[in-house]
Amino acid sequence: MRAHKLFSVCMFVAALLVAGAASPQTDPGVQAANRGTGAALPSVLADDNPGILAFFQNGQKRFQDVESVSNSPTGNNGLGPRFNSISCVSCHAQPAVGGTGAAVNPQFQFTSNGTAPNDSTPFFITANGPTREARFPFFFNPDGTANLNAPNGGVEDLFTVTGRPDAGTCRLGQPSFAIAAAANNIIFRIPTPTFGAGLIENLDDSTLLSNLAANLANNFGIAGAFNRNGNDGTITRFGWKAQNKSLHIFAGEAYNVEMGISNLLFTQERPLPGEDQFQRGFPSNCLNLAGTGYPEDNSNPAAPTQAAVLDDVSAFANFMRTLAPPAPGGVVLNGVPVSATSIANGHALFRAIGCATCHNPTVGTTQPSSTTGSLSAAPVNAYSDIELHHMGTGLADNVSQGAAGGDQFRTAPLWGLGQRIFLLHDGRARNLLKAIAAHDSPGSEADITIDNFQFNLTPSQQQDILNFLRSL
Amino acid sequence: MSEPIRRLDDRPRTRATFEDPAAAESVRGFEGESSIPWLGLLVVLALSVGLQARGPIVEAQERPPNDDDPFNQGRPKTKVPNGTILVKGAWSSASDALTPLPEGGSIANNKYANPYFGLTYPLPLDWLQKFEGPPPSESGRYVLAQITPTDTYKGPSRGNILITAQDMFFTPLPGANALALVQYTKDNLPADYQVEPKPPEAKIAGRSFASLAYWSPVAGLHWYLLATQIRCHTVELVLTSRDPRLLESLTQHMNNMKLPEEASPTAGTGGGAVPICSKDYARDENLIARVDPVFTEHRPNPVPVRIIIDKEGRVKHIHFLSAFPDQARAITEALKQWRFRPCLRNGQPVEVETGIMFGPAASPAR
Repeated sequence: MRAHKLFSVCMFVAALLVAGAASPQTDPGVQAANRGTGAALPSVLADDNPGILAFFQNGQKRFQDVESVSNSPTGNNGLGPRFNSISCVSCHAQPAVGGTGAAVNPQFQFTSNGTAPNDSTPFFITANGPTREARFPFFFNPDGTANLNAPNGGVEDLFTVTGRPDAGTCRLGQPSFAIAAAANNIIFRIPTPTFGAGLIENLDDSTLLSNLAANLANNFGIAGAFNRNGNDGTITRFGWKAQNKSLHIFAGEAYNVEMGISNLLFTQERPLPGEDQFQRGFPSNCLNLAGTGYPEDNSNPAAPTQAAVLDDVSAFANFMRTLAPPAPGGVVLNGVPVSATSIANGHALFRAIGCATCHNPTVGTTQPSSTTGSLSAAPVNAYSDIELHHMGTGLADNVSQGAAGGDQFRTAPLWGLGQRIFLLHDGRARNLLKAIAAHDSPGSEADITIDNFQFNLTPSQQQDILNFLRSL
Repeated sequence: MSEPIRRLDDRPRTRATFEDPAAAESVRGFEGESSIPWLGLLVVLALSVGLQARGPIVEAQERPPNDDDPFNQGRPKTKVPNGTILVKGAWSSASDALTPLPEGGSIANNKYANPYFGLTYPLPLDWLQKFEGPPPSESGRYVLAQITPTDTYKGPSRGNILITAQDMFFTPLPGANALALVQYTKDNLPADYQVEPKPPEAKIAGRSFASLAYWSPVAGLHWYLLATQIRCHTVELVLTSRDPRLLESLTQHMNNMKLPEEASPTAGTGGGAVPICSKDYARDENLIARVDPVFTEHRPNPVPVRIIIDKEGRVKHIHFLSAFPDQARAITEALKQWRFRPCLRNGQPVEVETGIMFGPAASPAR
């Protein structure tokens, strides 16, 4: 009898320990199951606009092309003379082509695998850390201190083509990220995912404006604004600060700034901000390294197929535009599937405490599309209002882009969050709880909502929200 | 001004990785520290030339900077300050620092005081503002205070208190006053919430407030919204908690508030010690002279502006709720030249506060 009682007590204690080990507020983490992310939209798969599937496939293939400076065995030339990476997919890979940064950072190998043989690996690029670009919020004084009266904010490419056998005599130095860090004058950005981007692109301004108005009566202290493009004044929507109008501009800018490949939208080589604004740009021996003239990416009139006639940027844009949005899926926490009830509860709580005011589950419906049927009259379940919001001093990066000031960011779309590894604009968080807490700082529109999450919900309710977020 | 470019013969800023000690010396020389004797300098120069020919020596992994980094020795450590927003988008500003502004409230001695609204609110015991809220929005929305329990709070239940103001001149929402705004909120409450039975008006500190109570059955959270109008702003107090008794207690505590006489859900249009407020006062029939601002940059953002017109019809105070500096300068230069007919009340000239939206209009309501 005593042995039986002792056994029962031991089992009871063991059960308590197991229950305690599974903390009620645990980020389920990156979900490994295949949710089909990275496929084309259904109407594209059906080739409803004949040739559109070929455009998707061709763009997807080109998205993975590795660029060289010159003499590329695959004909992909024009890399550099400054770059952050060598293919679109090297940054946009998780969980599929077109996504965000992968678990293993390819940038970490560049100085040892011949990509950037004469460069140093910047200190913020690590083997398993986020794929990143860097910016200096301010220009520097000659003594290496930051000039707070001279905002910069442009991308400071991490690598150069110096020492590559295909780069001729071009020799450039990298920016000194160590000096910048010593001056607390460096910020980072990670890649944004592009799944479902065509849906976001095909939202009319009136839909976004109506959504803004509809949410103004919220009682959480939230009031966003839109970024707009300087050419026609309409709402811009892509990038961490919603600074880009269309997927073509998004692709063209990235091709030029991140890979140094000039194109039909951005037709010149792109030096560092200081090189272009205060010095004399690139030396002549760093120009036209591919030998093909400018822009380095252009249409191909003699190409054998219609898809191949397009320039790379158009191919990239077509690919991203026709990517299906990420599908929600089940969640596994510590090896155990989470109940659908918990996920549904988390969704309701997410709306109730204020998160959905900015992370709007469905901002609206797209307008008719001339591209493909799946982009017509389609709900955009992006969990974002595409608005700029003040996010406080904790997240502020002192970089302005268009109407977005240093503390303003576009509401990051949360669709696909379940399979993202690095969180927030600079990849500083891997854990949802840390990312949520970062929304709470002086000057943030999210302070009251985060207070509701942290203090006005039970631990079980908080876990439901985490489970829900990883289901996206 | 530029970003610092590491030259090809730059070396990483740590001692241990240099293959050539002379190269380390040349790094310190680049930093401006002249510690190399002249003979050594010749050696360094000779070696540097040799090094250039071979290409730079670089460390495989750039080390993160730290306090022992020789690069920083002897130099002032001027850094971009943390926790400060130096680069701003459209932000609030005013033509002088003396005239009270809606966002000018502050908390001192456990009391929230807002001279613009004439409002003081003693905070509940062990409740404070952890963080200030965001700046005014281009739609005229203010977060005046965000009050939550402190770490020493010993009460049985928690909640939060949000005090906001909506400039009624600029809201795109329908409704002319605080009562209408609360009614709009009630009529458009998302399906996640249910209205709780409470009287639509409440008396706080002797003043009438429009009120709305609702809750989320899923979250178990209750909200109590109390709204009044002061100087043509809807001032809202939003109380949130899981515990309705706490909300009752906080509401009772609000009777310690001091409010101006004008505070009312349907009036609240200034007067007395403050200017009367009048929507769309800057229309042709009231203007003798008007000059359009000359903007130096094309920007698409709306610029909501409140002005106070003195008894002689001159603009004596300008408050930009949300503007870029160049927009504020251009509008200020123009407004200085505006002349209004004096506003008469009971035959006497009075000061008037009104709002003007420059640039594109704010988003229309559905």
